[in-house]
Amino acid sequence: MKLPRNIRSICETPTALLSEYNDSGIKVIGYTCSYVPEELILSAGLQPYRIPNIGANVSSLTPSFICPFASAILENILRLRDFFHGIVIAHTCDPMWRLYDILKKKIDVPLFFLRVPHDTQNELSISFLEMEFVRFKKFLEEKFRVKISGKALSNSIRLCNESRSLLKNIYLLNSDSKYKIDASIRFQLVLAGMWMPKLDFNEQVKALEFNSDEKHGNVRLHVNGTAIYDLNLISIMEEAGGFVASDDLCTGSRYFWSNVEKGSSLMSALAHRYASRTPCPSHGPLNHRLDYIKLMVRKFNVQGVVTLSGRFCDPILYDSVHIRNMLTEMDIPVAVIDYERPSQEINRIKTRIEAFIESIGD
Amino acid sequence: MCPQKRERILQTTRKIGDLIIEYFSKAWDSQAQNKPIAWITVFTPVELLRALDIYPVAPEHYGAMCSARGFILNYLEEAERRGYSQNLCSYSRCCLGYVLSGMNGIMPPPDFLVTFRNSCDVYVKWWQSLHRHLEVPLFVGEAPYVLTLEDLENYVLDYVIKQLEQLIGMAEEKFGLKFDMERLVNAVKLSDEASKLWLETLKLRKAKPCPLGGRDSASDIFPLVVMQGTEEAVKFYEELYGEVQEKVSRNEGIIENEKFRLLFDGIWPWHAFDLIKYFEDKGAVFVYEPYSEAWGYRLNPSKPLESIARKVLAMGLNIDIDLRIEKFLKHIKEFQIDGAVLFSNRSCKTWSAPQLVTAEVLNRKFEVPFLLFEADMADPRQYSEAQIKNRVDAFLEVLGEI
Repeated sequence: MKLPRNIRSICETPTALLSEYNDSGIKVIGYTCSYVPEELILSAGLQPYRIPNIGANVSSLTPSFICPFASAILENILRLRDFFHGIVIAHTCDPMWRLYDILKKKIDVPLFFLRVPHDTQNELSISFLEMEFVRFKKFLEEKFRVKISGKALSNSIRLCNESRSLLKNIYLLNSDSKYKIDASIRFQLVLAGMWMPKLDFNEQVKALEFNSDEKHGNVRLHVNGTAIYDLNLISIMEEAGGFVASDDLCTGSRYFWSNVEKGSSLMSALAHRYASRTPCPSHGPLNHRLDYIKLMVRKFNVQGVVTLSGRFCDPILYDSVHIRNMLTEMDIPVAVIDYERPSQEINRIKTRIEAFIESIGD
Repeated sequence: MCPQKRERILQTTRKIGDLIIEYFSKAWDSQAQNKPIAWITVFTPVELLRALDIYPVAPEHYGAMCSARGFILNYLEEAERRGYSQNLCSYSRCCLGYVLSGMNGIMPPPDFLVTFRNSCDVYVKWWQSLHRHLEVPLFVGEAPYVLTLEDLENYVLDYVIKQLEQLIGMAEEKFGLKFDMERLVNAVKLSDEASKLWLETLKLRKAKPCPLGGRDSASDIFPLVVMQGTEEAVKFYEELYGEVQEKVSRNEGIIENEKFRLLFDGIWPWHAFDLIKYFEDKGAVFVYEPYSEAWGYRLNPSKPLESIARKVLAMGLNIDIDLRIEKFLKHIKEFQIDGAVLFSNRSCKTWSAPQLVTAEVLNRKFEVPFLLFEADMADPRQYSEAQIKNRVDAFLEVLGEI
């Protein structure tokens, strides 16, 4: 199957969409992490836009040993600042935390720092996260002179839930051996969902038709890591005879796996969803993340796991040791692919992926 | 100025070595008496652990010590052999290497792993990793980034207090201990006294010539890392204060001919104390370091839990950049600083990441020249001595021309 042209072109040059929003008078809130509740941004009548690392080099404002991913996002924010009416940085990891510090000294755009507890899955942390969401709501209301009504929030939750469910349903098709939805297509859809107007996105996804006769490699892979915007990293796996059956990426299943359920209040329900979602490598407990990877490996009949790791990404670098230990016990082969700037290292990465897939195929 | 053979160190500083030996010896005694040993990240509330009769040990301190004494490489290499990247924090690699090589050193194995995310997020990953290897109870607390001083009074403070209560509950449940409020009040009193003396001592460095140098301030923090809430710590700082005050009254500096007064930003490169001496041999003395100052935090014994929660939150790196810069600027004036040395530390990304924007402000406001050098606080393999010393020479030449 092929994606509609507009989705493909958005994924090729996501920043072009920013000009369109600008020309249409749509106010855009740039955000950096899937712990930021898009629901609140939408309910304020604003357009959420996940800031990617593509299209920028590392920033000269950060040292050479700081995660190039975070540094490139910083550079993109500085480069594209005129398109954003507000920026939200979530406290995911150390570089993202300090990105906020640097931006505070460098831009005049309204800036919000969302404090996400690192051990998310206990009641105290959930209550704290709810307070942070209340603070975020107040920030949006004050800076953009809007009143976020319960009805508006409820509508945006419904919209985001629908979007997540659509993505998850496509994804689940892969657990059935009949269907193999091209991973590049799945990832493009997730990314487009973070950039496009939600309503439009949902309608387009609903219109997609999937069939079962796709041609793919036979080695079923699970990919773990943080956020991947450069989809060449995914394509090379499929070109080398692999099939990315599942993932736990921030720009993959972690973004849509769970929905907002009914709670004592909308804000409480929102906090519960974001706190209890699949933890990212920066958040814990680690056992939950390992359990999730185990679940994915089993559910999607995975034969090998690829950890994509930025060379200075502390959370992934720590976790990769435990992921490897766990999977070795399960007799699942693992490859840790580290890189600094994937676009410049793509051939080296490709060689390693090919060798890994070949070794499993053998 | 002629290079001096011996390091310039205060008499009181020379006692730190014995204090460390005694401290570890007591840790082993505690273990022999079946009292739990907690491995903590620094800026975890030691006072609270004292009230529970849990003995605190800080692997970060152990990493610094192994680095300073030249036996860290085996641990680093062991961690790397077991899959931990060389790009990870060297304290954590040292600690994980220590664990993975059988813990045959001076640091007793832990019964409890306690951390509060405040200095960095690495604490969480490091402690999670230890938990996977050691399978002893783990407590991960969260001290959210302090965005405004209001956070030290509002729901953020409340969140940390409640976590401290959770920590007490967990320790009581896991180890059958009884929390003793009276002990906590006493520990808070002693901790506050030690902090007060340390902060007063650091203020004496405003004197010209400066009576206490970088080598002293690097070592003298030890009692405030893991010995808060003890009488030994108070005694040490009383002695230190007395010695430094005497030097001030005699108008005696830590170096003979003070030419440049410098600020050092960062954790010290423990394996390269020689660098401090190199500066001092050229007439440059370190008079202020945010790192040294961060260990002193005043507590209120009448509100012990609240006070400790505030301390966990407000440690140096966990405070908003504008508040940090404001403090920087104030000290540059008060300590009559001529230049700043910024240590871009490969292991401490939270410290290093905003250094350039901080330096830009310093330069803009006060035209304070700065030297930024890159190395690692504990991994000697990441230190290029000749190159750094060349840059120091050039920096001091520039200062001399101003």
